[in-house]
Amino acid sequence: MLARVAADFYWLGRYIERIEHTARLLRHQLTGLVDTPADEVALGWRVLYRALGQSAPDAPADLDEAEAFLIADAYTLAGNLVENETNPDSMVSCWEMARENAMQLRPQLPLRVWTCLNRGFLWIRACEFPTAWKVGPAALVSEGIDRLRLLSGIVDATMPRDNAWRFLELGRFVERLQHQTVLLDIWNRFGRTRTEDPSLSWADLLRVCGAFELYCRRHTMTVRRTDVVKCLVRDPEVPRSLRFAIHHIDEMLVGIDPLGSRYPLGRPQRKLLHLAAAVEADVALQGKTAPEPEQAEGASESVFQQLARDGRALHDVIMASYVDYPVAEGLPS
Amino acid sequence: MDSGRATSAGGAGFGSAGAAAGRGAFADYHLDPRFHDELFQPDGSTRNACRKLGAALGRIPPDELTALQEGVHRRFLHEGITFTVLGAREVSEHIIPIDCVPRIITAAEWDHIEAGLKQRLTAMNLFLRDIYHGGASLKDGVVPSDLVLGCPQYRVEMRGVRVPHDIYVAVGGTDVVRVGDGFAVLEDNLRVPSGVSYMLACRAATKRSLPELYREQGVREVSSYAEVLYSTLASLSVGASSPRVAVLTPGRYNSAYYEHAFLAGEMGVDLVEGRDLVVHNAMLYARTASGLKRVDVVYRRIDDDFLDPVTFREDSVLGAPGLFHAYRAGNVVMGNAPGTGVADDKSVYAYLPRIIRYFLGEEPILANVETHLCRDPEGLEYTLDNLEDLVVKEVGGSGGYGMLVGPHASAREREEYAVRLRGDPANFISQPVLPLSRAGCFVDGSLQPRHVDLRPFTLQGRDGQNVVPGGLCRVALREGSLVVNSSQGGGCKDLWVLRAQG
Repeated sequence: MLARVAADFYWLGRYIERIEHTARLLRHQLTGLVDTPADEVALGWRVLYRALGQSAPDAPADLDEAEAFLIADAYTLAGNLVENETNPDSMVSCWEMARENAMQLRPQLPLRVWTCLNRGFLWIRACEFPTAWKVGPAALVSEGIDRLRLLSGIVDATMPRDNAWRFLELGRFVERLQHQTVLLDIWNRFGRTRTEDPSLSWADLLRVCGAFELYCRRHTMTVRRTDVVKCLVRDPEVPRSLRFAIHHIDEMLVGIDPLGSRYPLGRPQRKLLHLAAAVEADVALQGKTAPEPEQAEGASESVFQQLARDGRALHDVIMASYVDYPVAEGLPS
Repeated sequence: MDSGRATSAGGAGFGSAGAAAGRGAFADYHLDPRFHDELFQPDGSTRNACRKLGAALGRIPPDELTALQEGVHRRFLHEGITFTVLGAREVSEHIIPIDCVPRIITAAEWDHIEAGLKQRLTAMNLFLRDIYHGGASLKDGVVPSDLVLGCPQYRVEMRGVRVPHDIYVAVGGTDVVRVGDGFAVLEDNLRVPSGVSYMLACRAATKRSLPELYREQGVREVSSYAEVLYSTLASLSVGASSPRVAVLTPGRYNSAYYEHAFLAGEMGVDLVEGRDLVVHNAMLYARTASGLKRVDVVYRRIDDDFLDPVTFREDSVLGAPGLFHAYRAGNVVMGNAPGTGVADDKSVYAYLPRIIRYFLGEEPILANVETHLCRDPEGLEYTLDNLEDLVVKEVGGSGGYGMLVGPHASAREREEYAVRLRGDPANFISQPVLPLSRAGCFVDGSLQPRHVDLRPFTLQGRDGQNVVPGGLCRVALREGSLVVNSSQGGGCKDLWVLRAQG
């Protein structure tokens, strides 16, 4: 497989995952608009934007972050993440980028995968956000999620388990790993530990991650921070746990480069083992209490920040190993 | 001459299911005696080969035909069967308009076309070999040497290069028109002929839209094109037992990108861009996720100029540096070879009948269209004197750009064009306005005739030639227009080549 094509599959996977992540967070936030106190809504937007690595649109530079989200209106904040084509991380922009990548992959991509992705893009581009806002914006975002799940199903059903699929999945899970570490870090900062107000509910984090029901079955409906962190970090059966993502990344890397998993280890495998070790060692992390938000802002790097940094480094190593390697390294021996 | 609506008078023998121009579903179908009609005879009755088609079209209600047409367009949109147009500020994707009514060619007509295409391609390959190795035909005055050597598509770098199997043109696309009762070649496309993916897309569309009729008509298949293309390209390889073939594309923003991707996908080969290729020790490699891999055959869909910045245009970022070096060293084969464009130059085109006679000792099977070379003083004078009756084209032009259709141009446009002509006469040729035949199309809710041409594709491999029985049938969808190019408002339709009966 061409290195560029591998990169395109990888990025296709990343963009698909990114849209879904944004849509999940948005759906949760938009659903809660009806009955959530204003200060919690503002905190929700702040967390959502932080989780996506963005700042409030059109906010003056000198304005405090918390204040910026208090004065911003929900329509603008949601629209910026859904339909704003100038925002590179909006759903429509990511869908367009996914489509651009898929366009480069037409020879390798099953027609049904392309058609589903293309129809999704044509749908979101044609969506009238002001109209959707009036009838219920959460429905719009939900439809986006449904379309992405349909796409995942078609990918699952039509793509052979070759390197094209592996790079696609690799991209998805690297993206997921990065998002989940950031999300955990943010909840660790703003999550409800005592009774301070406003704060984030740990149950909401489980809901955003689609793990609430499983958590209740495993534990109780009494949601405790330590158990939530344990669930979303170490539980191998939770699709949005760090361990789940790492396990899948490992599987994909082994498939792509079987030799890389033998001695001497390939660079991506070494980096992944490092990440896996950090996740395994979260016993220490569990014992920690969450820092106060003000303290946390200036505190030294948290475990999740370290994991996020390692996740970014993993991406760099994957690119350097399979895509941007020097010519001399690639020549046949 | 006025176009008159054909009446059913004289149309005896249609039968109750017979279709007739000017009647029923064909009420808006006005025959014009100036143009051969593919569907109807001059008396308004359907041609023998088109009886089933005419009857079927007559039975389908217009709203059903509209739904069929819309279904085809929607499918093209969703499947991304598009061509890209680069504007000044933005890139836009367009769907090539598809007409759901097929055009029919009989087995005997096709046999004639096929023989003519094969003859033409054989002669051109011999001619190309000759002009890059000694130029006997130039010395013998078959073609003026200054015309060939001064042609922008003549590549001095190709002089003396040993082209594997002497196949310069592996894939040729020839524009064939029906004028009167015979076929003629309007132009040859020997560099990067495109349109074959639309041929296959049109076929898939009509098979879905008119399945029963398709089955009944006995249409020859075109679905083997990719397989034949792959075999042709692989046969060009020298030495490699299982050659690695790649399609070289300028990239996503090329207007024919869909086709490049489609063909690579159908053949199961890599679709590479220049940035994917590396030349090392005169070997061509593709950058793969598991290191560099040798490439043996390149089906290049990129013009000579941009192939290799080391040899050709140094500002090209589309090609691969050193590619031509690897080619000259015989370590990679390119289809088509660089420098083939000289044979499809519109001035050289005028000499094709002489080239055929010279190299093959045969008379051309397919006629050329009368062509006036403006590089000749008498040709220029004739062209300037008759500008309002002629089509004037740039010798290296394509896509319908830069040409003047005299009868449709304003006096001012003709004057401006005359200035260009006088300034650089060697850059132009002129031809009479051809009375292109017309075929039935479903336009604006009714069946109407529109002008059409045909681009079949001829493949030349080590083991012989192959012409897939079909082609891109282009349609000038605007009423009265003779310009079929998709960039100029043209569309396309399926071409059904019928099996020989018995």
